Amino acid sequence: MTIAIRFEDVGKRFVVQHQRPFLARELLRSVLQRPSHRQEFWALRNVSFSIEAGESVAILGTNGSGKSTTLALIAQTTPPTEGTITVNGRLGPLLELGAGFHPDLSGYENIYLNASLLGLTRRQVDALLGSIVEYSGIGDFIDAPIQTYSTGMKARLGFAVVAHIDPDILLLDEVLSVGDGQFAQKCEATIRGFQKAGKTLCFVSHNPSQVLALCQRAIWLHGGRVQAIGPAAEVCAGYQRFLDGGALA
Amino acid sequence: MRREDSSSGDRQVGFAIIPPLQVQTFTDIVRYRFVLENLVAKNLKALYRNMALGFFWSILNPLVMAVVLTAVQLKFFGQQAWWPSTFLCALIPYNFFAYCVSGCANSVIGNASLVTKVRFPRQILPIAVIVTNLVHFAIQSTLVVAALLWFPPPHDVVGWHFLWLPVIVALNLALAVGLGLLVAGANVVYRDVQYIVDSVMTVLFWLCPLVYDAGPVLANSPRWQFWLYFLNPLSGLLDSYRAVLFWGRAPDLGVLALATVVIALLGVAGVRSFWKHEHRFADLI
Ligand SMILES: Nc1ncnc2c1ncn2[C@@H]1O[C@H](COP(=O)(O)OP(=O)(O)O)[C@@H](O)[C@H]1O
Ligand SMILES: [Mg+2]
Repeated sequence: MTIAIRFEDVGKRFVVQHQRPFLARELLRSVLQRPSHRQEFWALRNVSFSIEAGESVAILGTNGSGKSTTLALIAQTTPPTEGTITVNGRLGPLLELGAGFHPDLSGYENIYLNASLLGLTRRQVDALLGSIVEYSGIGDFIDAPIQTYSTGMKARLGFAVVAHIDPDILLLDEVLSVGDGQFAQKCEATIRGFQKAGKTLCFVSHNPSQVLALCQRAIWLHGGRVQAIGPAAEVCAGYQRFLDGGALA
Repeated sequence: MRREDSSSGDRQVGFAIIPPLQVQTFTDIVRYRFVLENLVAKNLKALYRNMALGFFWSILNPLVMAVVLTAVQLKFFGQQAWWPSTFLCALIPYNFFAYCVSGCANSVIGNASLVTKVRFPRQILPIAVIVTNLVHFAIQSTLVVAALLWFPPPHDVVGWHFLWLPVIVALNLALAVGLGLLVAGANVVYRDVQYIVDSVMTVLFWLCPLVYDAGPVLANSPRWQFWLYFLNPLSGLLDSYRAVLFWGRAPDLGVLALATVVIALLGVAGVRSFWKHEHRFADLI
């Protein structure tokens, strides 16, 4: 089996800035030799796992446990602070809330922009455009600026684009939970098509039934570390026990 | 999911392994030219929607500026009738420079929603600003031509020295790219860079030879003041534009050489600082 995604001892450290640094203030500070208020924070530490091509893996964890950071690292929007990450295949990233849309542009223009960012050429987008619009179910709002869209509408459009770029690895961050039931079903059907085609899925969800329905394996992150990794049913059950007030194993 | 079997032939866009973050060169711009196209189209929306109206909006600002300053100069300072020609020869390149640098400063922050969601070479963002302003530059250049025809210089200007023009424009472009990259990255780290840039642009408007000619002003000052003045590469470029377009002679080669050196240094600083920080942009935004 080939590896689609591999994390080896990955850590991600953020510098938490309570105030946005201003050049004028920083210069003054260095002149006055005052220490700056920088706080470091490890969002992920010692995270190792590998996902084989064709596998579907869910990432579970409470808010702030590092799930979105993990997906951002896979999508390479941010570099790891330590460790190595291997990604094999074309990515279809749908990171939390929105898919790389520009708020001023219309839905239609954003399809072009987003698809081009994901590596498509004009001819390819031209060919897929009708299908993307239809799939999204946005209707006449496709000509309205994205900033007027609801979160669910943005998720619909984002998923529609990502579904059409034919990725090898699909990354979804709480996307299925913001759309309505009807769209979630449509997404699930699409995802099953992906799985049949041997594609890799990595998604963050808070919905256990969805995880169990779509994934063989799950990774439970807690405080930036891997708490459990294994068959979806087992990890979900452990996570559920923890949420219900149980102690960490 | 819909599969386009017929189009599967031209689906080679996927890369087997996404290149690591370090591999960032200008060749990326070629691969991502459709992104560049879309970003430029976004910036030039007015022009795309309605050619004539977009043209009008593009020249409106320099036109108003030229009309107002010409009225003041002719009425209160007794300038020659050709003053608008000398002014526009410098104003249009100055505008190009100022819009580029100011636009670049905001280019990464203003596209935060893209930077945090998709991996793509970040230099596309400032480059899109530069390309957009090249289009405006081309449009606004018609004002220079119109002014030179309408308020002709005191003597013939057309000649072989016009061959200097592409050199000067190239240097102007290089200056815009270098400084643009520098402020684009700096503004992600320090949010006041945008304000500093905008203030500096206003200062430069008066510091560079726009409303006055550098030659007569510096004629009686010591040599070191002359070189200090032209240490600012924009001064050297605007002076060169004016020499070629208005006075009909080759630019001062010493001035142009000094500008070239400073532009090269700024270019290296811009490219290096952008490359050094671009992988962190998504974290800092
Ligand atoms: N750009 C950033 N700068 C500083 N801290 C960050 C940044 N992004 C995320 N974090 C922190 O990292 C932790 C993990 O965040 P995240 O991965 O978004 O969690 P979640 O599991 O809810 O998706 C959080 O505590 C968050 O505050
Ligand atoms: Mg999250």
